[in-house]
Amino acid sequence: MTTLQPCAPALSHITVTPADLATQVTALLLQPGWRFGHLTARSLDARHTAIDVLLLDTQRGAVTCLTAPLADGQAEYPSLTAQLPAAHWAERAVGDLFGLRAVGHPRWKSMLLHNDRWPVDLFPLAGAAQATTPREPYRFLQVSGSGIHEIPVGPIHAGIIEPGHFRFSCVGEIITNLEIRLGYQHRGIEGRLTEVPWRQARYLAESASSDTAAGNALAHALAVEHLLGIAPPPRAAALRILALELERLANHIGDIGALSGDIGYSPGASLFPPLRGATLALAQTLTGNRRQRWFVQPGGVARDLDDARRRALLQGVQDLARRVTDHLPLVLEHAGVLERMDGVGRLSPTLARDFSIVGPAGRASGTGYDARVFSPAGAPPAAATRRIEGDVLARAQMRAEEIASSVAILTQTLDTLPDSPIQVALPATLPPDAVGVGVVEAWRGELLHWVTTNADGAIARYAIKDPSFNNWTGLAIAIRGNLVTDFPLCNKSFNLSYSGNDL
Amino acid sequence: MRNPFLALVRAGTQTLTQSFPDLPTEATGLPTVTAASCRGCGACVAGCPTQAIVVAGDEVTLDRGRCLGCGQCVRCCPTGTLAEERATRTAVRTRAELLLSNHPGPRTPSAALPLLRRSLHVREVSTGDSAGDLEVIASTNAQFDVARFGVHFVASPRHADALLVTGPVGRGMREALLRCYAAMAEPRLVIAVGTDAISGGLFRGGYAEANGVPTDLPIAAYVPGAPPHPWSIIHGLLLAMGRD
Repeated sequence: MTTLQPCAPALSHITVTPADLATQVTALLLQPGWRFGHLTARSLDARHTAIDVLLLDTQRGAVTCLTAPLADGQAEYPSLTAQLPAAHWAERAVGDLFGLRAVGHPRWKSMLLHNDRWPVDLFPLAGAAQATTPREPYRFLQVSGSGIHEIPVGPIHAGIIEPGHFRFSCVGEIITNLEIRLGYQHRGIEGRLTEVPWRQARYLAESASSDTAAGNALAHALAVEHLLGIAPPPRAAALRILALELERLANHIGDIGALSGDIGYSPGASLFPPLRGATLALAQTLTGNRRQRWFVQPGGVARDLDDARRRALLQGVQDLARRVTDHLPLVLEHAGVLERMDGVGRLSPTLARDFSIVGPAGRASGTGYDARVFSPAGAPPAAATRRIEGDVLARAQMRAEEIASSVAILTQTLDTLPDSPIQVALPATLPPDAVGVGVVEAWRGELLHWVTTNADGAIARYAIKDPSFNNWTGLAIAIRGNLVTDFPLCNKSFNLSYSGNDL
Repeated sequence: MRNPFLALVRAGTQTLTQSFPDLPTEATGLPTVTAASCRGCGACVAGCPTQAIVVAGDEVTLDRGRCLGCGQCVRCCPTGTLAEERATRTAVRTRAELLLSNHPGPRTPSAALPLLRRSLHVREVSTGDSAGDLEVIASTNAQFDVARFGVHFVASPRHADALLVTGPVGRGMREALLRCYAAMAEPRLVIAVGTDAISGGLFRGGYAEANGVPTDLPIAAYVPGAPPHPWSIIHGLLLAMGRD
């Protein structure tokens, strides 16, 4: 089940003109197993910029980077969104960070930087002398018609949760459109990552969405190792799998409890948080920290697992599995729970594919994509599962299935922990003009860290694509035609990161 | 179909009976400065990702308000001047108390509002540290059960005595945070949870101006850590209430 090998996805580079970019990308994506990874821009020098597109070949485990340099003084490029809807937020983010306009984008507006909170002429990642297009005032989509009313929610929400704005357009209690406006937590991580010494970048990289510390740290480590052409020792690779799967287990268990809470089913809401706590205690045994911070690092991991703790961990995973297996049917086989979740917030497989919805939410809508199959850094589940219903219930059931597969991976990895050092020495410098990509199936889905160095071997561009960056659109689509009162439940069934999206 | 109520009864009382236990040995505690004399090698300073340590001669000063708790300094300290703290009562009432030194000066702990000793209603505002939010949520679960200390999280700032902030408060959230505070009735206080909220942590100095809770807000308790342990968060809440 577990194949450990150096994660060095084969990398090809293609340089195209901005006018040909959409055609080239769509042609490549017709090949079986190819996926759109991310789109962003990069400063080549003070005046010149390029649009970069990352494509993943999931069958061969390879990555392709298309670069479209823009002409001097050019601040726009033809949008890819019409052919590739999954790129729609990425192009808007490039608009805010670089001041480059995607011409032909069907919903062009700012995303991360709001004009009433940021200087309108600030494009933080643009070159000093680069041409830019001004950021226009933000306008929500107006739904008009008899009886249409709007409900604005946020940025601060009612519970203990991250901030973001939801604008519901409703007819009575039925949502006809949801527009999600995020960016409130933009902290400039990608910019900071080009300023700090690369050997300390891991601390910042894993703060991209700190509830996914192991996932982000792993994606960062893989990207840096890809750049350097090194691989972690086998024991470190196995310990990383433990961290990644414990993170998945803790969050999926927490989500089952939170979903129960959102429908007022108190047995689920009170039984699952202690199980989540037990998982965090296991994470602390492994990494020293409940949230698994500062553990995974380029070249290996920060601390070893001695045999006493290994046995304690194995015992802990088995005890936890027994309790979770006992409690899950109380939720997912309860008639009241099923009635409340069945058919709510349905996302069709077609739209899930078009918008590249990832993780459990994607698999609940038939995508079948799990980056653990692609990336050798994550042990794939024994049997990749998917559902086609695409509703809240399917997303809850996917989590239950992934809890079981994570337990199996943890048990197997703990039973067969290889003996080796846990860290390889890192070279003093990064190679010049190189690209490193780290792909991880974090608990929310495919997480990408994409690093490009300049001619001096310094990090020129550090791009992060959180799974939530794909999936927020999935939530906006899934809630259409549903009751306003079902939004919290539907939102929780996706459980997306705001900070990972805002960066 | 199993009976959920039977499962609840069988699970028994989940609430932890011992308050503020020390961290177990396998956990990495926040660094602390011991009396052991420092020989000034500076390894801790070079390795610290947030420049939280200053070494001048044999004097070591550690700013827990900037420290992430990564443990790098403890691992490389040859003299044991920097060591791990096992206690979970790590919150303090003033920013100055977060500065730890092997040559500590006199301390005058400040008093808190006596009005809110028995019950505190808290509005949490998150600004970019989702792990910190999860630990705040954990403090409300059946195990930590912060409600037994009289602390309740509320939805509206109109109902709140305290504003609990996580995350480094960048440009995008600054106005929302200040408006939330303005909507609260007097007396009101602010609690900064996590290194990001206290100083901006890793984000400090960037273009997003994410340098922590604005210093013009009156902060009644600081809870260091990235993120802090739920017990430390509860400690911060109790300190803000004038208890500990």
